Amino acid sequence: MPAGRRWPPSLLLVLAAALGPSTTAARAAEDEPPGILVSRQLLASERLAVGDVVSLSSDPSGTRPRAFRIAGAYEPTPDPARLGGASLEARLHLPDLIALTRDPADPSSGESVGAINVRLADPGDAEAFARDLSARLPGLVVRPTRPPKQAGDAFVVLDRFHLAIALVTVIASSIFLLALMVMLVDERREMVAVLRLIGLRRRRILLQVFVEGLLIAAAGALSGIVLAAALQGGFNHFFQWRYDTALVFVRITPSIVWRSVLLAVPLGALASLAASWSLLRRGILSLARR
Amino acid sequence: VRAWAFAARSLVRQPGRSGLGILGVAAVGALLFDMLLLSRGLVVSLERILATAGFDVRVIATDSPFLYGPRITNAAAATAAIAALPEVEEVVPLRFGETTAAGPGGRELKVYFLGAEPGSRSPWTLVAGRDLPATEEPWLVVNPNFARTFGVSPGGRATLRGGCTREGEALPPLTFGVAGIVEFPFDENAALTAATRLAGFRGLCGQHRADEADLFLVAAHERHGPVAAVKAIRGLRPDLHAFSNEEMVERFQQVGFSYFRQISTVLSSVTLFFGFLLITVLLTVSVNQRFAEIATLRALGFSRRRVVVDVLCQSVLLVGAGGVLSLPLGLLLATWLDTILRALPEIPASLHFFVFHGRALWLQGGLLGLTALAAALYPMRLVARLPIAATLRDEVVG
Repeated sequence: MPAGRRWPPSLLLVLAAALGPSTTAARAAEDEPPGILVSRQLLASERLAVGDVVSLSSDPSGTRPRAFRIAGAYEPTPDPARLGGASLEARLHLPDLIALTRDPADPSSGESVGAINVRLADPGDAEAFARDLSARLPGLVVRPTRPPKQAGDAFVVLDRFHLAIALVTVIASSIFLLALMVMLVDERREMVAVLRLIGLRRRRILLQVFVEGLLIAAAGALSGIVLAAALQGGFNHFFQWRYDTALVFVRITPSIVWRSVLLAVPLGALASLAASWSLLRRGILSLARR
Repeated sequence: VRAWAFAARSLVRQPGRSGLGILGVAAVGALLFDMLLLSRGLVVSLERILATAGFDVRVIATDSPFLYGPRITNAAAATAAIAALPEVEEVVPLRFGETTAAGPGGRELKVYFLGAEPGSRSPWTLVAGRDLPATEEPWLVVNPNFARTFGVSPGGRATLRGGCTREGEALPPLTFGVAGIVEFPFDENAALTAATRLAGFRGLCGQHRADEADLFLVAAHERHGPVAAVKAIRGLRPDLHAFSNEEMVERFQQVGFSYFRQISTVLSSVTLFFGFLLITVLLTVSVNQRFAEIATLRALGFSRRRVVVDVLCQSVLLVGAGGVLSLPLGLLLATWLDTILRALPEIPASLHFFVFHGRALWLQGGLLGLTALAAALYPMRLVARLPIAATLRDEVVG
């Protein structure tokens, strides 16, 4: 990377990192460009390397550029709201960013910041702290970094969407299962007739069918979980590659496993019972086709 | 008996399993249809909104994500220069901001605030009252939500709190006259939106860096069209980024809509596989149970081709009936899923995720047809290779 390369500001979402005292003041050599961090994606897309000197400007036309040396690369915090957009970002020390973006016609522009991050002694106080500060400083918007999940929250909505899709899939699977069980039970019609003829009561046969259905459903649920666990990595790798992000798209948690089992096993057992019931209601002679 | 009628009778003879098979295909088909609607729904919806907005070209300062990048500087000169191009009919510069206003009970409510300089056409649709007058007095046009929430109507007055740009300065409030009630094409469902002329915007939001715009809306001259207008603007101002509506859609497709396209691809594939499995199992078990019957038919003179075609016809009938049923089911399901997704924040009220388009219908038909064919392959093979004498001995005599 040639020193002094001009970097299209359009590619940048410049973030200031308030990392302590100005590096400008602390810098040993006056002519040494200040250090910046660039995102991994920006480093790759512009074929930059750590140690390169780049020019940044806050003006789209690239006027008044300032030189910076790339001190390192970082992985941006994955942001689902910006999925699909390349994270072409750089992090500057706050005084460097203010110096870069200051409007000469507006003295106050060197005195303002976009946001202040506060680390609390007790993170559990975030809600109360935000409420107190909002009341004391009405001009500020104060919110916890982990706001409570609300109805309009993007993740709550997506969760609801995926749940709806899952519900439709469960309905389709149940119909599939029922059709399959009807056919399987029909195949065993003569065996059921023999069992009835040798004296087994309907309830006894139904219990047997129920246990069978339970075992098949449990085996099916287990296979489904194993398949999902095996595919999980593939899904995540594909989408992480596709969107160039560190976001995790699929995560099979114990709660999801239990929910699947609790849904699949009773459904499977019920399907086998429902399918068998129509057969067991018939008379023995009808079952034996006599 | 013809193959179709024969296959239909075979299915009718076992109404339980056939009905369940058709229902299963209908449920799977409905999901598949919805995923096909989702795969292009946002794009089709955005195309429709852009087409009705009345502007063909959008100009921004950089190619960074919309409203994240720097603004267009020396906006007045740029507006005049672009408007003077023969390919351009009109240019409307826009500024975007957010402010607040005191709502019922004195609660401060967020208001989306636009500054625009409309000419013969406006970036909104007038519903009541009149459009923004070109006077020095600050006027507003507001959306119906704003009018309802703050209890204002054309001729009334509304006070907005000062300071509305990304820089967020605290400035004194300003009272505007309400000229009219309008609908903004990209308004969110519950958004409170107000627009004024650029002078009013600057008055409320601060005067510094006044000659800026977030976006130019450009109407191309009918004689030249949007492609020529984009080319002319790029030639005149290579430092700016001009996009036709088609390019905007393409751009959003690559970035913003990608997630739903991927989801729909994955779910369509899974759904198709599921449907394939369902029909294959149904037909295979059905054929297994009919070995004796098929062997007898062969012995009576039915050709191998004839019994194979019978299985294929059964598959097509099952999938066809399920497929037809899947369309109304899919549309109902799409309405429900669309309602769920439209609750996402910052989604314009007129944007839909599931939009009917002819391509989805053809794709649905084609994919289900292929599924019917693929699902019938294995049972067709079983029937074709069925040994007549051995089967009759095993199934009938035995």
